[in-house]
Amino acid sequence: MTAQELGASLQQTFGDKILQVNSPQPGRLYVTIDPDSVVEVAAHLQDDLGCRFVVNAGTDRRRQRGKFLITHFFAKDEDGIYIALHAEVDEDDPRIPSITPVVPAANWGEREFHDMVGVVPEGHPDPRRLVLADDWPEDLYPLRWDVEHGIKPPIADCTPERKPPPEGSSVVPIGPYFPALEEPAYFRIFVEGEEVVGADYRGFYNHRGIEKVGCSVLTYNQIPFIAERICGICGCVHSTCYCQAIEQAAGIEIPLRAKYLRTIMLELERIQSHLLWLGIAGHIIGFDTVLMQVWRMREPLMWLCERLTGNRKTYATNVIGGVRRDIEPDAYDDVRSVIKEIEREWQALYDSIPGDTTLMARLRGTGMLPKDMAIEHCAVGPTGRGSGVEIDVRVDHPYAAYDRLDVKKCVHDGCDNLARTLVRLDETLVSIGIIRQALDDIPEGPVLAEVSEDIPAGRQAISTVEAPRGEVFHWVLTGEDNRPERWRVRAPTYANLQVVPPMLAGSALADVPINIGSFDPCFSCTDRMEVLDINSGQLRTCSAEDLSNCRR
Amino acid sequence: MLEELCKKAFFKSLWLYHTNTGACNGCDIEVIDVLTPYYDAERFGIKLVGSPRHADVLICCGPVTRQVVPALKRLYEAVPDPKLVVAVGSCACGGGIWYDSYNIVGGVDTVLPVDYYIQGCPPRPEAILHGVAVALGLLDKQVAPEALRQLPDSSESVPIED
Repeated sequence: MTAQELGASLQQTFGDKILQVNSPQPGRLYVTIDPDSVVEVAAHLQDDLGCRFVVNAGTDRRRQRGKFLITHFFAKDEDGIYIALHAEVDEDDPRIPSITPVVPAANWGEREFHDMVGVVPEGHPDPRRLVLADDWPEDLYPLRWDVEHGIKPPIADCTPERKPPPEGSSVVPIGPYFPALEEPAYFRIFVEGEEVVGADYRGFYNHRGIEKVGCSVLTYNQIPFIAERICGICGCVHSTCYCQAIEQAAGIEIPLRAKYLRTIMLELERIQSHLLWLGIAGHIIGFDTVLMQVWRMREPLMWLCERLTGNRKTYATNVIGGVRRDIEPDAYDDVRSVIKEIEREWQALYDSIPGDTTLMARLRGTGMLPKDMAIEHCAVGPTGRGSGVEIDVRVDHPYAAYDRLDVKKCVHDGCDNLARTLVRLDETLVSIGIIRQALDDIPEGPVLAEVSEDIPAGRQAISTVEAPRGEVFHWVLTGEDNRPERWRVRAPTYANLQVVPPMLAGSALADVPINIGSFDPCFSCTDRMEVLDINSGQLRTCSAEDLSNCRR
Repeated sequence: MLEELCKKAFFKSLWLYHTNTGACNGCDIEVIDVLTPYYDAERFGIKLVGSPRHADVLICCGPVTRQVVPALKRLYEAVPDPKLVVAVGSCACGGGIWYDSYNIVGGVDTVLPVDYYIQGCPPRPEAILHGVAVALGLLDKQVAPEALRQLPDSSESVPIED
């Protein structure tokens, strides 16, 4: 099925509830619908057509159209189509029916557009604040065009709204700081004895307002720099994804050599990220030898990236129209020798896992994420693939040079922490193969296309990249003043973290760190933990040792 | 004076507590990298600990976001005196590229008194190691020699002497 056919079938099913259908690029379908029918259409896409929900976005278009634009994005992976469902909401009555009751994965996105542009998702089961700080003023919506990007309301005292624990359970707060790695996040785990009965999550401690900065201060060419700093581990993924979106909107065809160079950098990044994760996973389960050994394996790769691009991780190699820096042919051998060494050590690592009782005891059968739950919550990347969900952007929606290379989807159906570990290990080997093949096949030629014309306003583009953690999604709506009117970014963890609270239910408290860690938000252990004794109502604080004793 | 005090107050192993105050993880990963075999900060007695109550030094990475402010203040209070605060990375040093974003309060020094700044985006592991070594008093601070600063034409290269 092509995007046009899908559009026609939607028109046939819903008649005049579909206001406009448009497919400017192959594999992309933009549908404008009546806001009142959004639930119906979303349910049809998900349940009848088997589409996967991706994310939603809120855009303030009061200047252009006098309306707010709410968009729900879906993907039809087997046909390589991305669908955007646009619904325009009146500025005097900013409300839209919530699709979360029928599409559970839309939960965060709807709360986010409520926070950011002030459109209320009506009937949302959990309409608490998501992105903004608890003390942020109620009626100030940062993504509205008339709100300054540098506005800094005074900090105030407040009590955040929290989900009440189920009757008879105790609360174990984890976070917001973990000593080792990654973003602060705050989990409240509800336990009955050792068993977890539920969880609540409060995150977005790292919200830096990137989308607002990109859409109000920077220009098209400056954004790759900031996009690269969305994530310090897989930044190249974001800058590639953004550049692809702009190239798609402006109709720029980049040179083939640039596509290959992007592929090589993305795969090098995937290897370092997977190795990084494996080390952290070892640390989480109290097996620090894994951390030390794997990071030792990874370090020559960091030096290689520095030789190739000038920096260890923020490569700054992508620009709109291609790449900034070529890889000289005499550097190919450097790349080959580094990946060869990693492959050799990887083999030893892989062989030792099934024989290691510690690893097997902690990974096998823990953190069960059944396939239907992964599909229902639209888990992506190794998290989904560890539960048998066969999606991989590199194969389903090929970008860069992946359509010319041999990419294998690594899928395991164990649904546990071990399956997710094996997926990442397998992918490391596949990445090594891809890099070898790309180095053999890479054509000569320029690395940067001429970009002379201005990009017209009002065009849109969807671009996705398979990051180490899953699908990265960027949607761009081009605007005036040489900058996008709206730039929506969805990192894979945004999708994967939503599945954590339902998944944790039923697991043992001691397995919580590795269960969360196996999604690769690199959750390590906790800085402190408070146990609320519901009988006496007293709060006591456990030390780190108490906690490490319970997790090892 | 701080250096003299440091030599007296922190003459034994330094234990670090590492926090991300809103960073992209770039700096955090490099901080962990410093502890792994190639850089091996533990040979200087530097160790990452799991609780701020055990720490001598608070390592902060990233611009301070609004959500983080109360947690960061509590964290600082939890570290026993005498304590040092090290800001790692351009964002932690002054807000970096996010300095004027609505959700960013600024660099770490807008919330806590910072003793040492380590620049870079992200700083290389060597830079972090060097910064900590200077803080420990293992190394003297290096600045560009007077001759380099007075040079009228910067295109002419002058080797920096130790």
